[in-house]
Amino acid sequence: MIITTILAFVAMLALSGLLWLAKGHASASKALENPVEQIRAVDVEAFRNLIDPDEEEFLRTNLPPAEFRRIQRERLRAAVEYVSCAAQNAAILLRLADAGRRSSDPATAEAAEKLVNNAIRLRLYALHAIPRLYLGMILPGARISPVRIAESYEQMTRLMVLLGCLQYPTRGVSAAL
Amino acid sequence: MHPLLQPLFYYLWIAPHVLLAAILLLIARRKLRRQFPMLFLYTAFEIVQFGVLFTLWLRYGHFGPEYNRLFAGGTAVSSALRFGVIYEVFGQLFADYPALTETGKTLFRGVTIVLLLAGVGLAIFMPGKSISLLMLAAKTLDRTVSLLQCGLLLSLFIFSRHFALSMRSHAFGIALGLGTYASVQLATSAVLLYVGRATNPLPNLIIMGAYHCCILIWIYYLAIPERTALRVLHPLPQHNLDIWNQELEHLLQR
Repeated sequence: MIITTILAFVAMLALSGLLWLAKGHASASKALENPVEQIRAVDVEAFRNLIDPDEEEFLRTNLPPAEFRRIQRERLRAAVEYVSCAAQNAAILLRLADAGRRSSDPATAEAAEKLVNNAIRLRLYALHAIPRLYLGMILPGARISPVRIAESYEQMTRLMVLLGCLQYPTRGVSAAL
Repeated sequence: MHPLLQPLFYYLWIAPHVLLAAILLLIARRKLRRQFPMLFLYTAFEIVQFGVLFTLWLRYGHFGPEYNRLFAGGTAVSSALRFGVIYEVFGQLFADYPALTETGKTLFRGVTIVLLLAGVGLAIFMPGKSISLLMLAAKTLDRTVSLLQCGLLLSLFIFSRHFALSMRSHAFGIALGLGTYASVQLATSAVLLYVGRATNPLPNLIIMGAYHCCILIWIYYLAIPERTALRVLHPLPQHNLDIWNQELEHLLQR
């Protein structure tokens, strides 16, 4: 009886989750009507600094161990914030670039395709990086360097510019979005 | 069965299959057969199965052993075809996003293995009750299959939400309909297996109602034109434009 009840409860939970996710999927396009409010600032240089192994080594050698662990935790917490922001921005850009993929202009479609792939890759990196950063917070001595996030984010912004130029050559980048 | 419930039972038995015929027509008219061959096959099979079972019922006037044998066999084929439909939806989504193909395949395999183990585990440790071995096997299969399908479709929605993927509206509708049906079927099949011979027709009516909903969802999403992603014309915040304008300058200097 207990297993039956659990199974029925899990099934109902799955149904609710499915309907909630489906509702979110349907409203996602509406939410993108104003990306200004959703895109968050990501200072790539500051992020690079936070995950720089040399910087970490410098702090490790110049600070007392307890102080280093405290600072390292703070740094990694900030890095998680950066990665989350970059991943969120990637999700928004991915949806925006989806429209470009259907462009009749092959160059625009190609740039949009690349942007979509980069945004997906960035979200995949973020999926791997965030647990590693949290692990780093628990074990401040462990070496964690999600450098690929920074590179991927920069590549993504470059592609967004290119896509903007291709789609709206006379109006500039902002008009493209 | 209560006399008041009988019209509802016959409606829920017949109406979804009439609507399935409409789906078959929609698939043919919208030239979706190539895009969704498994859905087409599944729909056609369900209609044929209903035709045979309905004829049998008309001939004998009750749900006898012959009916049960055919029903059990049909359930197995239907379940297999529904897996094909789910695989088709997964395929559609990953075809649109080549960067995710490998990750998607891994996810599909991983989730299938985990859920299959859970289903087999449930079948071993919680075999259920039924008056005949055949119906017990059919119901156990039903529960295992609905667990797998429900989990697969839920993971598809979670995956596409995490990666902010825009599912094509047809595939989205098919997944939503099938997911709704699979989750209701999971709950009711678990209850039916536990109680054995169902004296209360309510669980069956609930499954039939969920199937009807699934068909209506399919009709709606197959009837509406395929939606494409929106092109949004709004300026972005300055902090991003700064980076992008720098890149633009690099591009112009080349």
